[in-house]
This record gives sequence, structure tokens and C-alpha cells, in this order.
Amino acid sequence: MRMQTLKASHRREAVIGWAFIAPQMAGFIIFVLLPLASVFVYSMQEKNLLFGTSLFTGLENFRLLAKDPLFAKSLVNTLIFSAGVVPLNLVFSLLLALYLGGGRTGTRFVRGIIFLPVVTSGVAWAIVWKYLLQGGDAGPVNAFLSFFGITGPNWLFEKGWAMSSVIVTRVMKNLGMNVLIFMGAVLNMPGDVIEAARIDGAKRFTLFFKIKLPLLMPTVMMVTIVTIIGSMRVFDTIKLMTDGGPEGSTMVMVYYIYHQAFRMFDTGFASALAVVLFLIVLLLTVIQWVTRKRISYYEN
Amino acid sequence: MNLKHTKGVVRALALLLVLVLSMPMAFSQGTAETKAPAGPVPMTIATWTSNPDQIALLDSFVQGFAKEKGIEIKATFESIPFAEYNTKLSLELQGSSGPDLFWVLETAAPAFIQSGLLAKLNDGMKAYDPADISADALQLWSKGGDVYAIPFSTSPFFILYNKDLFAKAGLNTPEQYAAEGTWNWDTFRTVSKTIKDKTGVWGFQTVDGQGYDARILHNLAPMVRSYGGDFWTDDGKVLINSAESVAAVTLFHTMVYKDASVVPPGNQSDFFAGNAAMTVGQISRVSKLNDSAFAWGLAPMPAGPKGESPVIGQAAIGANSKGRNVELASELVGYMTNKSSVAAMAGIWPPARKSVLESEAFLASNKSVTKEQMQRAVADSIKSGRVLPSHVKYPQIEVESKMVFDKLWNANANVKAILDEVAAIYAKHTK
Repeated sequence: MRMQTLKASHRREAVIGWAFIAPQMAGFIIFVLLPLASVFVYSMQEKNLLFGTSLFTGLENFRLLAKDPLFAKSLVNTLIFSAGVVPLNLVFSLLLALYLGGGRTGTRFVRGIIFLPVVTSGVAWAIVWKYLLQGGDAGPVNAFLSFFGITGPNWLFEKGWAMSSVIVTRVMKNLGMNVLIFMGAVLNMPGDVIEAARIDGAKRFTLFFKIKLPLLMPTVMMVTIVTIIGSMRVFDTIKLMTDGGPEGSTMVMVYYIYHQAFRMFDTGFASALAVVLFLIVLLLTVIQWVTRKRISYYEN
Repeated sequence: MNLKHTKGVVRALALLLVLVLSMPMAFSQGTAETKAPAGPVPMTIATWTSNPDQIALLDSFVQGFAKEKGIEIKATFESIPFAEYNTKLSLELQGSSGPDLFWVLETAAPAFIQSGLLAKLNDGMKAYDPADISADALQLWSKGGDVYAIPFSTSPFFILYNKDLFAKAGLNTPEQYAAEGTWNWDTFRTVSKTIKDKTGVWGFQTVDGQGYDARILHNLAPMVRSYGGDFWTDDGKVLINSAESVAAVTLFHTMVYKDASVVPPGNQSDFFAGNAAMTVGQISRVSKLNDSAFAWGLAPMPAGPKGESPVIGQAAIGANSKGRNVELASELVGYMTNKSSVAAMAGIWPPARKSVLESEAFLASNKSVTKEQMQRAVADSIKSGRVLPSHVKYPQIEVESKMVFDKLWNANANVKAILDEVAAIYAKHTK
């Protein structure tokens, strides 16, 4: 009898628990899971957005994708973009966090300046930089360089420079957020450990690499994962600054998906691209998750 | 948790569930209400203009139509930027919130007709003298004897120029050259370079500054065609890499990189702000010069070795075949392109209706433009001009060829080799 009452009580609590999470689950299923599942279904269809037609073609889109030179190009461009954004962002944000966490004068002001781009609209940021990076004498950046006798390139319209320009503007836009996260970790480092290392004679270089960096490693890992995933999903900066050009040199994967789906109306092929991107991001996340304990000494 | 509290929570959750479940019913009730005949009929109209005067003019046609029908219409105008127009419009039309009426670009006409998104207008335009609309103008918008959109603008491109800069450089104006019969691409190149050298201001800015990206065809077509070249033809011939087309594109490339007289890619100098002496415009752009700080004029496009070859930008209006009220929308399209509406628009969007085009009133329809200018740069060009090329696969052609055209925009570009690559893309899609 007592067992039955307990079971009934557990069941009731389970129902209440499910009822509490039901609204959130409904939102997740309708707005995340179903669209995600649709992408997998669409990736196996020849689907045209303009004509509203769809035809099941199995793995044909993936076969076409393997032969598509623009897909290969967009994949390489995405890797270049990530390889530029991630190290620059991590190194500068960590150095700034260490500097600002040292309690020097003027850190509040510097912190505010660094964080300002984070709260600025991404669209406004890209448009302003597109203006600043104009070619010839018209661009303020080139006008500044000309004071030193340097003739600046046409930053966003020359194949060799466009990607670098986009990377640098993107790093500046998002640096503040990572600085803030690293500062939290820097301020929470155990002072006695650092002090003990100093007493034992550790110099600045040793102190950083042997003591501070290992202490910060869990945060570094988390920031690395978030920054890599963020860099693989870049869209607004590319759309507004280069439109994927010149010659497709800034055509990253997400922008190529947009191109296929909404410019060429080939939703099926675009979905196949999205599936590949999903798998790449998933793989990277799994690799980082598995290797984190080897790198991060202090993770529980 | 005691039983009393549990019951309370269960009741609250049950109430919440009922509310959540009843929401779709509430929404569907709302939809039913919008379909009810009482109250004004909602009509959404998509355009790429955001000019308030032009929107007000379009709205006056909607209200005129409503009055004629004895109903109330609440028109909502949705302005989509030109560069994003086809993309956003297609998305909306495939969803359930597409506009009832929408403008269509000439380059997208075959794709939109084939998509089935445009309603047939044969019945809607019946009451408004369809025979008055030029058959040539309707050709692009018809298929199998049915009309799918009606051109409201058949607008030739011409040269807008800054008189003050020409005077400062000690040059005749393009209109004077045109009157002498020497207004050709060689003269155009010479004056452009002279202005840059003597005043330091750019000689020429491409149409809306988008001649290197969204408006490549608009920029190159006047040169290419007057040299005897073309992009592709309706019967599948690809001519962009012909000797004539290569010569024309080489001329433009030389002006950008050797003469340095054209606003180059990435530079945001603007004719309307006085930072370039010439640009390519249409009559709808003239209103932007109403408050300009400089004197200005307009002249026909320069002639090439094959004489004048005016290029016409055509735009039509159609009704959404999946719209809420297709029949009414089709009739509204007919009304918006009837003789009186077209006459009221003629000063901004030159008409395809013969009776309006041939009238004296048309030549005086734009207060900022003289009758002579309207005759020479607009009316004459409409008679002999051609629209830009179009194709059912235009979206693919545009995107793929743009990546190759990008190669043109550096000083050492091999124009012929690049145009051969563009030709291969055209051939892939048009043959």
C-alpha cells in the first residue's frame, strides 16, 4: 500500500516536472529540432525555393557537392578565416585580460573601450569599416597610412587583402567579450599559488606558462570552442563588407549556403552544405571535448 | 510538496496548457476575421523604391481603384532594397505572407513567370485598353498568349552630368557634343579624363555606384551593345567574348585603371554629392537632384562604332498568384497601368502605353527636365532601345558570372580571357 502511494507520488511529481519543462521543450522542438530535421530531409531533395518544387534524389546533392569547386573553396576559406580569427582573438584577449586584471590605473577606461564594439550593432560595425577601408586616397585607413609614405591597397576589393581585412575587423568586434570572460578567470586565480611560485623564484615567463596558463586552461578551452564555432558561423561581416568577393575569396561556408539557398534558390543543395557544416562543427566539438582533459589540468 | 500545493500547481499548469492550446485557435480566429468582407481590404505592394513621393503616387492609384470599385483598401508598401529584391521577394512569395502585388525586374521576368508565382492578368487588364500597350513592351511579360505582368516603366538609361564641373574643366557639355554629333565613347573617355586631371574630381561614377557588383550588366550594356557586342541572345548565342564586346569592356577597364577617371571599386564617391562629373541615370533618379548644390543636365548615352544603342531598364507590376485576393489584385494591376495612372507616372517611369508616350504631355511630364531633353534622351531612346538580357536561370547566371567579373577589377586583368570565362558560364546556363 505504501509502495503504491509512493509510486503514485513519484508519477505525479514526474508529470509536474514534465509540465514545467513542456513550454521550453515545445519551443525547442518546433523552432530548433524540426527545422534541423527538415534540413536533413531537404538535403536529399532537389528543391527550388523560387519554383516551390521538390523531388527526392537521395544522396545526389552530396555527390554534386563533392565535385563542386566552390564548396572546396568555401571550406578552405572557412578554415583560413577560423585560423586567423581564433588565435588572434585568444592571444589578444588573454594578454589584455592579464594586463587589465593587474589592477593598473586606467584599466576601467581601457576595458570600456575594448567592450564597446561588442555592444555595437554588427551591421553598423561592418558598414563603418567598409567606409574606413575604401581603396585609393578615399579611405581614412589609407589616408592615415599615407602619412608614413605607405600606399594602402584596395582592402576589400583585392583578393589578397579582403580576407585579412575581414578577419581583423571581426577580431576587433568580438575581442571584448573574451577579454571579459578571461578577466573573470584571471581575477579568480588563487593568489597564494602565484605568490608561492614568485617566492620560489619563478620569473614572468615561467610564471605565465607554468602557473597562470594551466590555472586558466578550463576557461581557455571553453573560449576556444565558442570562438571556433562562432568563426565557422560568420555571416554578417562577409555579407556587408565583401559579399563573398572578390572572386569568392571571402566566400565562407555559411555565406555559400546563403548564396545557394537565397540567391540561386537551390534549397536542396544548400541544405546538403548545411549538413556538412553541422557535421564539421560537431566533429570539432567532439575532438575538443575528448582532448580537453589532456590539455586542461584543473578541469573537474 | 504537500497535496494542497500539488493540486494548486496542477490546476495552474492545466490552465496554462489550456491557454497554450487555445492560442492557435485564437490565431486562426484572427485569420478568419481578416478574410471577412467588412472593413478595408488589406493589400501589400512590394517595390524597390522607398521615395515617399513615389509611394504616395502609387497609393493614390490604389485609392482611385478602391473608389471605382466602391470598396475600401488599406495599402501597405514594402520597400525592399534593389540588391536584395529578388531574394527577399522570392522568400516572401513562397511563405504565407507574400505581397499581393509586386514589382518585377526585367532580368527576373522569365524565372518569375515559370515559377507560377505571377497570376494571369488577361481578365484584370481587359477593362483598361490593353491594345494601347506596346506589344514589344509586353513581350517579355507574356507566355503562351497570357500576360503575367504589365510594364509600368520602360525607362532608358542616359548620362546625368554636373554642368559646373564641365565648365570648370573648360569643356563643352555632353548635350552640346550630342547636338554636334560627336557624343561617342571616345569623347566620353576624353572628357572624363580631362575633368579628373583638371578638377581632381572623378569623371564618371557607374550607375548607383554598383557597376562592379549588383549592376554589372546595367553598367556594361550601353558600351557593349553600341560596340556591336552583347551578353547572350534569346536564341542561345553567347556574345560577351566577341571582339566587339571585348573592345567595349577594355575601354571601360582602361578608364578605371589607366586613365583613373572612373570611381573605382570600393570607393564610395557619389555623383549626387558632387564627387563625380557624370553618372548613368534614369528619369526616376532625377528627383534626387532637386536640391543639388550644382547645376546639372542630361544627355543620351554616347554612341559606339555601331551608332547609338540605347538600353532600357524595364520594370513591371504583377499580382501574387497565391495571394489573399488574386482577382482584386489582378484588377488593381490593370488599374495601376491604365492610361490615366501611366500618364501620372510618366515623369518618373516612362510608359509602355503608346497613347501616353506619343503625347505632348509626356514631354512636359517631369518639371526638372526640358522637353528637348525628354525627347532626345528618353522618348527617342524608348523607340530604338532594348531591354537587358534575361533568362529563366538568371539568378544562377548572375551569381556565378559575378565571381568571374570580379577578376576584371585589377589593373593587370586580361579582359579577353576573363570574358571567355564569363562566356562559358553564360553558355552553361543559356544553351
